[in-house]
Amino acid sequence: MDVPESGTFSSPRWAGEDLAGAEDGRSPVPEDAGDGDLDDAVLSARAAEGDDDAFAVLVHRWSPPLLAVAYHMLGNLPDAEDAVQDTFIRAWRRLPQFRGDAAFGTWMYRIATNRCLTVLRARASSVPLDAVPEAMAHDAAGEPERAAESEAATQALSKALAALPPEQRACWVLRELHGLSYAEIAQVTGMSEPTVRGRLFRARRTLMREMAAWR
Amino acid sequence: MAMTDTGAAFPGPARRARAADPAGLVGDERLPCGRLVGDAWKQARAHPYDPDPHTANCPHCQQATEGLASLDRATRVLRTRRPGARAVADRVIAAVRAETRLGALIPLDDSARDLRIAEIPAAKVLRSAADRIHGVRAASCRLTPRGDGTTVDIAMTLAATLDRPLPERGAEVREAVAYAARRQLGLAAGRIDVKFTAVIETAAPATAGLSSRNASRP
Repeated sequence: MDVPESGTFSSPRWAGEDLAGAEDGRSPVPEDAGDGDLDDAVLSARAAEGDDDAFAVLVHRWSPPLLAVAYHMLGNLPDAEDAVQDTFIRAWRRLPQFRGDAAFGTWMYRIATNRCLTVLRARASSVPLDAVPEAMAHDAAGEPERAAESEAATQALSKALAALPPEQRACWVLRELHGLSYAEIAQVTGMSEPTVRGRLFRARRTLMREMAAWR
Repeated sequence: MAMTDTGAAFPGPARRARAADPAGLVGDERLPCGRLVGDAWKQARAHPYDPDPHTANCPHCQQATEGLASLDRATRVLRTRRPGARAVADRVIAAVRAETRLGALIPLDDSARDLRIAEIPAAKVLRSAADRIHGVRAASCRLTPRGDGTTVDIAMTLAATLDRPLPERGAEVREAVAYAARRQLGLAAGRIDVKFTAVIETAAPATAGLSSRNASRP
């Protein structure tokens, strides 16, 4: 089983890294902000008292990982962007009640995940499965054959993922694509840890079978 | 299986190579041939070119290991798909700025007692005054009018580096805040309470929680 590395959730993982093409090569924290060196706790305390400059720094810092989570969960960019925008606006309004008992990042992951689950549940009840958009498409044109094959496999996984029940999908995305531990996923989703493990197990089993069939 | 991870520390960047075990969690599932998924996976990995007789002829084991291998590869690719967030961040910030709060109105030190300033912009000015002290960053800043006259009490929480004694720092912050209150805003500052609630690590960006260390000053 994967052993979680040490480290903290006090700043977004992969900030400014592993974002090939994303952010137009710019750092996620704007240079002109002046508060870019401040930690989340100081910034969220300021933002809770209505300091929109402090909140802007948090938005630049946390939007890349949250957008990635939403994108992986919802499978397309427009929905993911809407979910992230909604997440931040909610956070801005609720910040005065945020007492910092959880890290700001954990809190944001929780709001974003809930938002995505709401969207997925609504989708599950209104959209037939085969109408789910081609998830997380990537233009493989002109790439060598091997890349094209890997692209096809990725598409197959995206589709299988889109067919999972929302809660399983959330657990799998948070664990496998974002490296959260079971305890963290429990914290973010409000499920118990055994429930998280059970959902991950079922998600993995389904995806394994789908991927075997794809081969 | 290491399933004892706690919620205290979130793992490091997902991009960091993980000791990935594609058979994790599903490893205990028994295949129709009687083998556990985890064992089939271990067999396939340990002897990729020289499978034992069972593996060589078992469609269940082959299917399971192929499924796990494809899943693992596709997962790695998906992990790198991260859309640029600049556009959505800019949109959020514009929306937030359009919703600017002002906060309570605080009396200015004006003999006619009819001038007031909104708390939020006033607090911003006082925070920047504190920020100008080396190694100090202001977190919270609340202004409370006493109600009688124009005196306003100021309460701040601060994060600071530990390269100089905190009492000295606290005195400097109070002085700077009092000066900004009087000269920049025209407030009649009463008590100025400063409380150190976090430590700024000098080597790396500050990570201490606001509630983790309390070097409080009256």
